[in-house]
Amino acid sequence: MKKISFTLNGELRYIYVAPNEGLLEVLRDKMGVKSPKCGCDSGDCGACTVILNGKTVRSCLIFAIEVDGQDILTLEGISKDGLTPLQTALNERNAYQCGYCAPGMILSVTELIKKNPHPSEHEIKESIAGNLCRCTGYKPVIDAVLEVTKKH
Amino acid sequence: MEEYKFIGKSAIRVDGKEKVSGAALYTDDLEFGPDLLYAEIVEGPHAHAMILSIDTSEAEKVPEVLAVVTGKDFPYNFGLYMKDRFIFAQDRVRFFGEQIAAVVARTPQAAKKAAKLVKVSYAPLPKVLSPIDAVKKNADLIHPDLENYEHVPWFFPKPKSNIAHHRKIRKGNVDQGFKDADYVLEDTYEVPRYSHCAIEYHAAVAKYDHSGRLTVWASSQSPHTQRNLFANALAPLGLKHNDVRVIAPHVGGGFGSKAGVTMEIIAAAVAMKVQGHPVKVLWNREREFYNTYQRLGVVAKLKIGVKKDGRITALHHELFWDAGAYVEYGANVVNAVGLSAIGPYKVENASIDSYCIYTNLPPGGPYRGFGYSEFLFGLESHMDRIAKHLGIDPIEIRRRNAIKEGDLTAYGAHMNPNGLLQAIDAVEKEIKWSEKLKSSNPDIAIGKGFSLFWKAPAMPPNASSSCFLKMNEDASINLLVSGMDLGQGFLTVMAQIAAEILSVPTSKIRTENPDTDRNPYEWQTVASHITWGCGNAVKKAAIDARDQIFDLIARTNFLPKDMLYLEDEKVKCKSDPSFELALRDFVINGIQMEDGTFKGGPIIGRGSFMPEYTSTNANPETSQGGHPNVHYTVGAAAAIIEIDKQTGKVKVKKIVEAVDCGKALNPSLVDGQIVGGIMQGISTVLYEDMKFDHRGKMLNPNFTDYKIPTALDVPDEIIPIIIEVAQPDGPFGARGMGEHTMIPVAPMIANAIDNALGIRIKTMPITAEKICLEILKKEKE
Amino acid sequence: MAIPYEFGYEKPLTLEEAIQLLGKHGKNARVLAGGTDLANEVKQGFRVPEVLIDIKGIDSLRKIEIIDDRLHIGALVTFNEILESKAVQDNAYILYEAAGLVASNGVRNRATMVGNICSAVACMDSAAPLLVHDATIHCLSVDGQRDVTVQKWFVDNRKTAIGEKELVTHVSIPIPKLKYAGAYQKMMRYSGEDLSQANVGVLLFSDGKCNVAFGSVGPIPKRSPKLEAFIKEKGINSQSIADAKEMISKIIAPITDVRATKEYRMHMTKVMFERAINTAVERLKKPKLITKK
Repeated sequence: MKKISFTLNGELRYIYVAPNEGLLEVLRDKMGVKSPKCGCDSGDCGACTVILNGKTVRSCLIFAIEVDGQDILTLEGISKDGLTPLQTALNERNAYQCGYCAPGMILSVTELIKKNPHPSEHEIKESIAGNLCRCTGYKPVIDAVLEVTKKH
Repeated sequence: MEEYKFIGKSAIRVDGKEKVSGAALYTDDLEFGPDLLYAEIVEGPHAHAMILSIDTSEAEKVPEVLAVVTGKDFPYNFGLYMKDRFIFAQDRVRFFGEQIAAVVARTPQAAKKAAKLVKVSYAPLPKVLSPIDAVKKNADLIHPDLENYEHVPWFFPKPKSNIAHHRKIRKGNVDQGFKDADYVLEDTYEVPRYSHCAIEYHAAVAKYDHSGRLTVWASSQSPHTQRNLFANALAPLGLKHNDVRVIAPHVGGGFGSKAGVTMEIIAAAVAMKVQGHPVKVLWNREREFYNTYQRLGVVAKLKIGVKKDGRITALHHELFWDAGAYVEYGANVVNAVGLSAIGPYKVENASIDSYCIYTNLPPGGPYRGFGYSEFLFGLESHMDRIAKHLGIDPIEIRRRNAIKEGDLTAYGAHMNPNGLLQAIDAVEKEIKWSEKLKSSNPDIAIGKGFSLFWKAPAMPPNASSSCFLKMNEDASINLLVSGMDLGQGFLTVMAQIAAEILSVPTSKIRTENPDTDRNPYEWQTVASHITWGCGNAVKKAAIDARDQIFDLIARTNFLPKDMLYLEDEKVKCKSDPSFELALRDFVINGIQMEDGTFKGGPIIGRGSFMPEYTSTNANPETSQGGHPNVHYTVGAAAAIIEIDKQTGKVKVKKIVEAVDCGKALNPSLVDGQIVGGIMQGISTVLYEDMKFDHRGKMLNPNFTDYKIPTALDVPDEIIPIIIEVAQPDGPFGARGMGEHTMIPVAPMIANAIDNALGIRIKTMPITAEKICLEILKKEKE
Repeated sequence: MAIPYEFGYEKPLTLEEAIQLLGKHGKNARVLAGGTDLANEVKQGFRVPEVLIDIKGIDSLRKIEIIDDRLHIGALVTFNEILESKAVQDNAYILYEAAGLVASNGVRNRATMVGNICSAVACMDSAAPLLVHDATIHCLSVDGQRDVTVQKWFVDNRKTAIGEKELVTHVSIPIPKLKYAGAYQKMMRYSGEDLSQANVGVLLFSDGKCNVAFGSVGPIPKRSPKLEAFIKEKGINSQSIADAKEMISKIIAPITDVRATKEYRMHMTKVMFERAINTAVERLKKPKLITKK
């Protein structure tokens, strides 16, 4: 067990981890952060997406010990100060159904629009192409993102 | 048309904020404290084998292991429609990966380690991996005890065979019908197995406490049915129904996979052996593929006779279903199709044989569409081919044969009011059917395809729903139902129904996923019946509450009850416009009279609904005489596709789909079902390709090689169209439409491919590879 | 998934420290960069090491730079960093093109190109671009520096020429003196994220030389000198392309697996070869080599 520390949703946290512990399990089971989900455990589905140092990554493919000293943001952190315009647009359009893919997908879009505030439809699709959703057919999500990022 | 304030409005989902904020909790997200135990499953590495011995001694020695259980601990049959299933394999395994034993330990790591140490010896048996082999003479029997299994009265198993059920339709004079035909087309279509691919795994946590209470938290479409099956299966251990409590948090996608009971019973049973501790059973992606339900495969032989003008004179549909190792649920898919495999057509002379066949593959079970996607692939391909042969427009041939209200279904009941013709017209117009499309690129072929669809809920005749409606001090409402919001928006729509009756805005109605201790009975959230069935129960509960309100006001304010109405959370009176009383002023605390006494009491509405006209009593040789289905939902769809002739890749340019949902209680949610269903349909026809090896082992149980579409695979344009021909017994005229939306997609794409290339593909999936190899074959010829 | 195997973890902060650790642990260690392949393998109990050596603390490995007419790509450079690099776009566009087709954004943020060629799974996307560019893989160990040409790097499926104690520090690509243009084609089952079932890289030079590499159609990706000589000799025209496509039947030996049949792989390789070479011809005609997506 090694003591590591990292910033989780803006708060410096300390925790003991073993090298064989995955980041996803540590966040969920040891730190109570439940929005990253497990959907395949092999990097295919994107449900476990978190933002690490500003970039979306698969927390199921990262050992917790790797994030010592780094910065992690999950959907809990994004929602801390109320819903963002993106979340509001998704909500108002009933974009999600079961909602299981939503945390990962919202983080993917968040990363995109930070880099590129007015993305094209293709750029939106590309940004969430690694977040599998079986319910929505993606279109309501894409439409909501287009709406919230269009130039006024 | 009646004006509604809440019905027909695109209300925001009641669970919307939870879901976009990350607050929504699913089963595996719940906390059970430091005493939580973890179970790991031991799986059989044979598709068919006798279990000779199981040695758990080494596993038991692993530190932190509390229990190792096997089939011997639970020698009980269970199942929804037929009790052919076991909690753990008994004397034999019947599919590759079937559960043999479970290890319960303090940590998942210890459970995993120990599970590897359970030694099982097997005597392999000949395996049957296709339904056609399974019905051959002298085929090895997968369930030698079939005749002893309990089952519902509308199943007809054939003892000493692999046929678990045979649904037979005989209507009119089929021989004469084929004789009268000017053209008869006969062919075989094959649709393989598919996987639901909900992104959330199956998950169940169970705790059997020291007072004898069994609580199960499960990702479930069927909390009450699960309670019923747990209580029945575990009754020998002393459980009664009221000892069992199922709590269902948010579900991360179902599509049928979380209906009935599959792995959840492992949690329930194992918990009985480690009394006092909560035990978690969490599936993984691989098991999601090979050890839950899969969609059944089918080989469908179809023969249709028509007159020159395209009118159907006779239809014979023979369906051989690959139902897998256990058919306790899947047999009802076979039954449903047996009743409906004429499609949405008026067919005077029809015969259908739908065979539920055991194979040594994973258990087949409910999947969005419940068999209708499978048989309509052949039927709607067939209709196009017939139209082509006769030189009739593919839409026109369907219009000529379309079933209308009052026409007789295959089992002789009257067809419900429906908007099939309106749907056909709407789709034809929106897709600009008559417009000829030509590709400017010689490597790209363009095609258009069309398909109709229909589906009825497949339910026991007495499937029922109920609702409690509790009013709170501020006139907000807790609506207690036991349907599940799987993402379709059920809870939102139930709130809208109560809102409409009680004039309380949807935002003041809290309705959540159920706990069987607190929420009243619901059969299951399947069959696209829940808006209709539970919606009726909610409407009744709201009316019941309203009646109580009006009774009280009539009694205390001496106003004529039939003059009272609700508006903006107030009681008002048509005959006394000066009267108004806010609900919040009395729905809990009653109304104070002049003498200081109070009248009334908390307003609690109660509603229950069961269709009282359905019956499965029918002649088993013909299926005539009963009324097994409540109603059909119908619709039409069309697509424009582009095919890269060198690679076989299909790009879906545009899809239009019209569905008659009776009344769209929430159009935004209806659109959501249409778009999502279309995408799932596209996925099954173009991408998903389940592979098994010679051992019956699934080779691609992962998203790396079982491809479900990404955002980059979305069609350029999807146009949902809502048709509203009211369902007379539906809440505000509504009928279900959730499953239906994916049903037309596969034949529609197959038809578009034929239209583009002149190549008819009769087996699914229709991958780029398959199209490309067919193009190459055609070029050679 | 809980991992029921135990192992150690080291995070060197300098190259020297890293190679000392590798020297000490040798084959019992695995180098951890992006970890997107490694984590999956470890979870499945495949190649579980005694110790992970996480090299992400060594900043010098994170660079993309041009030194002496060679494009250097460090061991920690991710696919998304390749996509964002003007140096890569300007000098090895085909690598940029291939990087854009690797998995999805969330994986590309973490997965490294060097990791890709060290895992050396047959479906990797980096190999064909590096092969046509005659890249060199630079390894370092306590015994010193060793450079391996990419043609000699791939030994078998999941097996490379790397030594037990070696760390790949970077890959370098010579920037050709002649005008050139490349194209990458990848066979996927749909538009979304997929592993390559076959891929083709083509690099065309203004003097008519043409480098061609095939990936995912054999245990290792490879160049075809025979095909290259043929194209150089005959030039690029519809007849030479048709003949070259015929030659491909004898050059590659794809297999049938869960992803595709050998017949379709063969056919698609020919189609992709034609499309790649035609694209390269078009790109070569342009005054600037760069074509933004």
